[in-house]
Amino acid sequence: MILPTGGIIPDHALAVAFTAPTDPVLAAAYWTGIGALLLTLLLGAQIIRLRMALRRRERREARALARWRPVLNAAIVGETPDTLPSLRKSERPHFIKLWVHLQASLRGEAGVALNDVARRLGVQNDARAMLARGPRTERLLATLLLGHLGDRASWDTLRTLAESPDVTLSLSALWALVRIDPHAAADYLTPLFVARDDWAMSHVAGILKEASAPVAGVLANLLPALPQERLPRALRIAEALRIDLPADVLSAALASGDLERVTAALRIVATPGLRDQVRGLLAHADWQVRVLAAKALGRIGDASDVDRLTALLADREWWVRYRAAQAIVELPWLSRAQLDALQAGLTDRFAADILGQVMAERPAS
Amino acid sequence: MTHHLLIQFVTWFVLCYFILLNGGYLVLNMLSLRTLHRKGQEEMLDDLPRAYSGLEPPVSILVPAYNEEATIAASVRSMLQLTYSEYEVLVVNDGSKDGTLEVLKCEFGLLPFPEAYRRQIKTKEIRQIYRSTRFPNLRVIDKENGGKADSLNAGINASRYPLVCGVDADSILQRDSLEKVTEPFLRDPTVVATGGTIRVANGCEVTGGFLTKVGLPKNVWALFQVVEYLRAFLFGRLGWSSVNGMLIISGAFGVFRKDTVIMAGGYRPDTIGEDMELIVRMHRLLRAKRQPYKVEFVPDPVCWTEAPEDYKTLKNQRIRWQRGLAESLNANWGLMFSRNGGVPGWLAFPFMLLFEWLGPLVEVGGYIFMVWSFLMGEISWQAFTTFMFVAIGLGILLSASGLLLEEMSFHIYPRGKQLLALAAVVLLENLGYRQLNTMWRLIGLWRWVMQKESTWGTMKRKGDWQASTPKGP
Repeated sequence: MILPTGGIIPDHALAVAFTAPTDPVLAAAYWTGIGALLLTLLLGAQIIRLRMALRRRERREARALARWRPVLNAAIVGETPDTLPSLRKSERPHFIKLWVHLQASLRGEAGVALNDVARRLGVQNDARAMLARGPRTERLLATLLLGHLGDRASWDTLRTLAESPDVTLSLSALWALVRIDPHAAADYLTPLFVARDDWAMSHVAGILKEASAPVAGVLANLLPALPQERLPRALRIAEALRIDLPADVLSAALASGDLERVTAALRIVATPGLRDQVRGLLAHADWQVRVLAAKALGRIGDASDVDRLTALLADREWWVRYRAAQAIVELPWLSRAQLDALQAGLTDRFAADILGQVMAERPAS
Repeated sequence: MTHHLLIQFVTWFVLCYFILLNGGYLVLNMLSLRTLHRKGQEEMLDDLPRAYSGLEPPVSILVPAYNEEATIAASVRSMLQLTYSEYEVLVVNDGSKDGTLEVLKCEFGLLPFPEAYRRQIKTKEIRQIYRSTRFPNLRVIDKENGGKADSLNAGINASRYPLVCGVDADSILQRDSLEKVTEPFLRDPTVVATGGTIRVANGCEVTGGFLTKVGLPKNVWALFQVVEYLRAFLFGRLGWSSVNGMLIISGAFGVFRKDTVIMAGGYRPDTIGEDMELIVRMHRLLRAKRQPYKVEFVPDPVCWTEAPEDYKTLKNQRIRWQRGLAESLNANWGLMFSRNGGVPGWLAFPFMLLFEWLGPLVEVGGYIFMVWSFLMGEISWQAFTTFMFVAIGLGILLSASGLLLEEMSFHIYPRGKQLLALAAVVLLENLGYRQLNTMWRLIGLWRWVMQKESTWGTMKRKGDWQASTPKGP
């Protein structure tokens, strides 16, 4: 129980304060405090340990970079030394990081020279071992190195990694597969890309850019048999890679009535043959369809579409008005004077305002 | 006997409250550890040159500005140099009484622009919209004074892009911060909002809109806030984010899906904590609609902001924050223990209510009660010292864990001396500063109860850390 003291601090107060109390609840509180104190000391020690480890790592890295940066720089400018220094085990991760960074920043001959240095040092063997058994960080690093090296021997391991649920690791492995063999990778990857929603479209597009030609072929074969719910994603991939899809595929999507499919198809329509279908969508109930139809008509429309687009300038949705105005302003056969005349002739204030805004945006864009 | 029992009850209530409060934060700390560990494994990918696919969602950066002539040019300049595929910067001059608009006109060559302004959310009158002749992606909205929330709403109305990013006008963003804070939107289409880490810029050096040297402030008030920010962001938010229960995204740097914000009705102009209120409201509405969504905290995109360096400004800021918190929770009771409330409704909201909203009342009450009871002889010296030992010890433990997370992940302060200084602050801030802060929060709570009028408030800014800014684009 709590002991009243009558408000007077006894002489032995401090001693009492730092002695474990006998009351069970007070004792629990006391030991919580002691636990917090010990944990704080432990955290303090851990912070010091981390800082010391960081310093050691930085020193090791600085030493490794000082030794290897000149060698790799020389290789980049085509002056690879005949005899390379030996790569110490402790230097490997730092070397690989530097090498990968340089590879990612360079193109052409320099990349080949860097590959040559890595192969002569036998780094690919370490990377294969890292890929198979290393911790996650090492595996990520290894995928990048083996991808740049175009290491065929790692194909199967990379494929296994590509199917892992770890998004970052699987995308790195996929990137490496594309680097190693774009054609084989396209066959294998394209259906996977269409199927996996957890892979961000911008990442997918970034990876597939290097294999857009083979992907286009695979995608065209894949589309007819694709389940309808997967079609929008496939169309988005086609859009990202600027792949021209067969008109009948797009026509079917535009006629499907499914919002996702219609909008996905409208984004990539580039064939004048589909003009009438697009025109039919300008009055769609969904404003997003009208927006995309206006944009599409800006790409494939003819002179007769100016009136249709002008009518959209008075749409109740701002974005439809804006995209219609952009489509009009971008039509190659309308001169500035004609645009001014068009704006002057508009009786709807919203239509005139939006056209005025887009015309004002044009010189700076 | 009854009196004695009452004293005992209150004693143990206060003790248990302190233990629960800090225990809760320790659990959040554990959750943050896992996220930071995984993030650390992918660190080297961040250093690699990035290729844009063109599918990244474009972002409208909204910069509400009220009397910001000292820092606005450098802030906007830093935003114009961000690495991102497509974005625009919209500065909203909220009827500033100083030379904010003149500075902007002069620095960025503004000319009136015939904008077809789209009024999706009601705001105060727009006087004029300008566009920069030097940076086509910079526009300035000059409007009647209506507060920060009103300015953000005007920015949303004028924005072109599907993501909107609110940034304080006195802030400096790291170059890659936008690409990092938008990453969750690319990864997951259900993400509706993300927030980044805010750091204290006092003591740092900024050149040409970029932070060129990280340093610690010499001013003691700002120094205390460095550790406070570490704690608040590295586990306060990261921990909640890992269980999709984050109720706060700092107004200084947060990205939102615009359609969701408009669906929720935009920022509420009649509240001080408009940033938090919007997030809580979005949770409430999306939960009620059973719509899958995520609100994420991204620990590394760093936004640097000037912390108050004098007692009065700091006190006013904390009072406003507490009022904002109270307003945000009070306006969204529907989230608490709601049928589809999930983590936000069943854990985060009650936690905020119990420990952040009512916390100052219990904490200050607890300190006063303990001192009073001890002086009156109602509790023993041993009980009193044990209370102080636990309360202060757990506080130090939490601050130390914030420092550990920082050391594990970002090492923003690279010098040994800086680490030592921070370690000293971890100890010292618990011996007076934290209690003072609690006192200010209690005043904030009181002012909310009394319903005193809410305003932007005046932030005394020095802006000297942004002094070396070259002219011209």
